[in-house]
Amino acid sequence: MRRVNVEDIFDLTGFAVDQEPHIVLDPQICRSCDHRGCVTACPAGCYTWSEEDRQMGFVYDGCLECGTCYIVCDKGAFTRWRYPRGGFGVSYRMT
Amino acid sequence: MRRSFEAVVVGAGPAGAAAALGLARSGVDVALLERGAFAGEKNMFGGLLHRMPALEAVFPDFWDRAPLERHVVRKSLCFLTGEAGFTVQFETGAFDRPPYNGYTVLRPVYDAWLAEEARRAGAACLTRCTVDDLILEGDAVRGVRVLRDGGEIRAPVVIAADGVLSLTALKAGLRQPRLDPDGMAVGVKALIDLPRPAIEDRFGLVRDQGASMEFVGCTAGVRGGGFLYTNRDSVSVGLVLHIGSLRDSGRTPYDLLNAFLEHPMMAKLLRGGRLLEYSAHVIPEGGYDAMPRLCGDGILVAGDAAGLCYATGLNLEGINLAVHSGLLAAETVAEARQSGDLSARALGRYREKLEGSFVLQDLKLFRRAPRMLHIDRLYGAYPEVICELMERVYRIDGSPKRRLGRLLAGTTREKVGLRALLADALTAWRSV
Repeated sequence: MRRVNVEDIFDLTGFAVDQEPHIVLDPQICRSCDHRGCVTACPAGCYTWSEEDRQMGFVYDGCLECGTCYIVCDKGAFTRWRYPRGGFGVSYRMT
Repeated sequence: MRRSFEAVVVGAGPAGAAAALGLARSGVDVALLERGAFAGEKNMFGGLLHRMPALEAVFPDFWDRAPLERHVVRKSLCFLTGEAGFTVQFETGAFDRPPYNGYTVLRPVYDAWLAEEARRAGAACLTRCTVDDLILEGDAVRGVRVLRDGGEIRAPVVIAADGVLSLTALKAGLRQPRLDPDGMAVGVKALIDLPRPAIEDRFGLVRDQGASMEFVGCTAGVRGGGFLYTNRDSVSVGLVLHIGSLRDSGRTPYDLLNAFLEHPMMAKLLRGGRLLEYSAHVIPEGGYDAMPRLCGDGILVAGDAAGLCYATGLNLEGINLAVHSGLLAAETVAEARQSGDLSARALGRYREKLEGSFVLQDLKLFRRAPRMLHIDRLYGAYPEVICELMERVYRIDGSPKRRLGRLLAGTTREKVGLRALLADALTAWRSV
């Protein structure tokens, strides 16, 4: 059976991607974070940490709106954390 | 879009749809707001819904009416290690006839059905409506602001059923800004297509019978467990992982899920299956002590938003509590409107109603369960002890047998230690 590969999340789950991000973070705060739990805990792999650039990368397109990052982040890195505008974001059909 | 109602319900999940249904049936002009394009679009769960007497009271023909997948006749709990598994299983004919004890459902279908019932009862269902803020007069909630047409929707009372993070309850000052990662879990799930005959043969089912399986020891030591529920033509397989423990492990939910799906026992059950959809959501598992305040002036909180969910290892319940709380919230609002008093004090009847029902009685009964679920040995050492013990019991290799008690003492001493075993047993005994 095919593995769950979050790189191909758009083949696995439906999305209506908004142009405006529903989550915005301040990467400056992520630099001094001692765990960066969001990187591994996010079930969609939306967060990537580059040790070389010391930079947190975040893409909201494949966000499952599950809430894990909201809970795992204890550094207050989000300057915005809300759900997408009506009709945008993840769209489950069968789950 | 109309701007003013007698009541507004935020979120058309099980709690919100039930609340709107209850209010509409009491003749209240209610708006049910849903941020998805349809109710259920954003919602996922493991897949097993328990019996909901309160909803059966609303719909006497519930079983024919609701879009159910299979009714569950068999429950099992399986302790897994790398290549072994020890399963405790219970099956009864009593669960094979109405009123069924539980059933599997698909949320985009089930939630849409319940919201449609609310609409037919007279609720105004407004989809694609993300609530972004509350309208406050002093401390009293007087409506919501939505991310659509810069809109305001006014109502003298709001029921917040907007799910586990409840940004609505937060804005009303009813919950703490920080949610404890140790009291929250994330569920990840793969919906896997399997032909009906394969499901029936592999799980030993006939007609619309369903099986519910839960697993411990399949999370590489991360606090949590696995589940498998049979739908009509698919199975829901996934993991529930405590967020604090997941963070500390440095593991990813999808790697753990893939490892679970590839466990030899699981791979056999899922052979030839096709991955249909991947989904994830946070679950409030903090129990009674993690609940927010349930009412304020002009506002009530229901379902996951109110933290009405519990996990004991054997019982994992949430949606039945959500539906019940939604109906009680509706009842409270309908009564409070009669007296014209929608203050926090008048709406406080809601809490009394919950206290008088199984919802808060069960949450209180199991209020120490989260403490038991924080025993890390449950997720590694104990499944290993059990599987190793069973292997020693059943293995025939020419060496003389030993008494069961000695085998158990030996295996436990190696992996856990007697003192830790006794302490854990005491914690577990007090919890459930």
